[in-house]
Amino acid sequence: MTRLSGKIAFVTGGRGGIGRAICARFIAEGATVYAADISPGGSLESEDDDGTHFVPLDVTQESQAISAMTRVEQEQGKLDILVNAAGIEIEHTIEETSLEDWNRIFAINVTGTFLTAKYALPLLRKSATDRPLGPSIVNFGSYDGFIADPGLAAYCATKGAVHALTRAMACDHGPEGIRVNAICPGYVDTPMLRSFFGGAGSGAGGASLENVLAPVKDVHPTRTCGKPEDIANLVLWLASDEARYASGQLWVLDGGLSAQVQQMRF
Amino acid sequence: MTKIAIVTGGGRGIGRAIVDRLVRDGYSVLTCGRGDRPDDLPVAVDWVAADVSIPAQAAMVASAAAEKGPVTLLVNNAGVQVEKTVTDSTDDDWDLVIGVNCRGVFNMCRAVLPGMTDMGGSIVNIGSISGTVSDPSMALYNASKAFVHGLTRSIAADHGPTVRCNAILPGWIMTAMVDDAFALARDPAAAKQDALARIPVGRFGTPDDIANTVSWLAGAESAYVSGQCFTIDGGLTAVSPLQPGLF
Repeated sequence: MTRLSGKIAFVTGGRGGIGRAICARFIAEGATVYAADISPGGSLESEDDDGTHFVPLDVTQESQAISAMTRVEQEQGKLDILVNAAGIEIEHTIEETSLEDWNRIFAINVTGTFLTAKYALPLLRKSATDRPLGPSIVNFGSYDGFIADPGLAAYCATKGAVHALTRAMACDHGPEGIRVNAICPGYVDTPMLRSFFGGAGSGAGGASLENVLAPVKDVHPTRTCGKPEDIANLVLWLASDEARYASGQLWVLDGGLSAQVQQMRF
Repeated sequence: MTKIAIVTGGGRGIGRAIVDRLVRDGYSVLTCGRGDRPDDLPVAVDWVAADVSIPAQAAMVASAAAEKGPVTLLVNNAGVQVEKTVTDSTDDDWDLVIGVNCRGVFNMCRAVLPGMTDMGGSIVNIGSISGTVSDPSMALYNASKAFVHGLTRSIAADHGPTVRCNAILPGWIMTAMVDDAFALARDPAAAKQDALARIPVGRFGTPDDIANTVSWLAGAESAYVSGQCFTIDGGLTAVSPLQPGLF
């Protein structure tokens, strides 16, 4: 499979749960992949060689976004695919959220998407004349940008912001041949989800992922949670020429969770 | 001049609360249902025994109201539900649910719109949160309500500037229909408690909650509101159906 042969991809959060799956899929499809993350191990704290070029990047820092894109330009001269997968979650209501935490999550989830895309655009434009595969940006929203999970107020707000930013970017840069979409995952088994189950998502008895996993899966029409690979499948499609008419859209990928009012559990 | 309103399915439940509210708001109200006039319906309210899914009977309802004066408000509340999946649904189920919930709304709008377009007025359709997000084992009902939402926008687009058309999407309102839905659960009482825990305002809705919204959408305060679907569900659908904290 070489659907991305010769293509250059840049993935923020590239060493996180979902980011690694995206990078692995891109590499399997023949792309040259830059995995940007705050540390080489990322949230999985594993430094196995995954075949990517690691780029140290704090997405909140403008100077680092500039340096990262300068490196890609020097090494490749262009960029075809940008995936903004870096993100954090803060598990609090607004009353419990400190201003510092509020600013931090917006800096990473929203400003990070803005900064990376801002400095990637000149490189993406250089690929805009490539046919059939034009440049594509995939942002990470969330189904939480549509409906709320309890105790995730700031996170929900950042994802709503990413959704609106995605439409705005598609509107502004579509005429240049750049497509922009967002993927809105539901419950995907990642370190972030496991942290949620240990915190805001825990039951009265402090439920762990292991003892809530069965009922959690049952609430989904598909009766399963997502895997990072499920998300990577859609990122690949949105980056590919098959998706050449798809832009400005929010792609909810949640096993049907948000299509229903709820399941009767009793 | 007395304001004339038609409320379909006003014999009981949400429809009845709408009828009572509109009477208080000063409307002369005509309502209809498939059965006999309910004994407890106020004498001031006109009753027509009619099945709105049948075009001639819907037309009869519209002309009975028009005899009293120009109809300035139509509330399409009549609705039925069948608790089945697609594979379990019969042709009769289709005819019933689509007949009342879709064709009934269409029939009434078609019968009332010519006069209303001349004189001005408001149509309020009762959709459902189930037309946006699905209730399990309610396939035809869910789909019929999505039809109502689509028709609401179409009427707003086609029949402005004199006619406004909006839909109300109730969540779980305590009526016999909701009891029927919970009866699907293995343990209806536990299912109700679980549902209650998912509603941010902490209670099920009452028919009056919907009647209040109808009253607002019927009145001058909503003069610039048209083509919209308003969810009245106590916040239920703003929250994820998956709340691990409840497990």
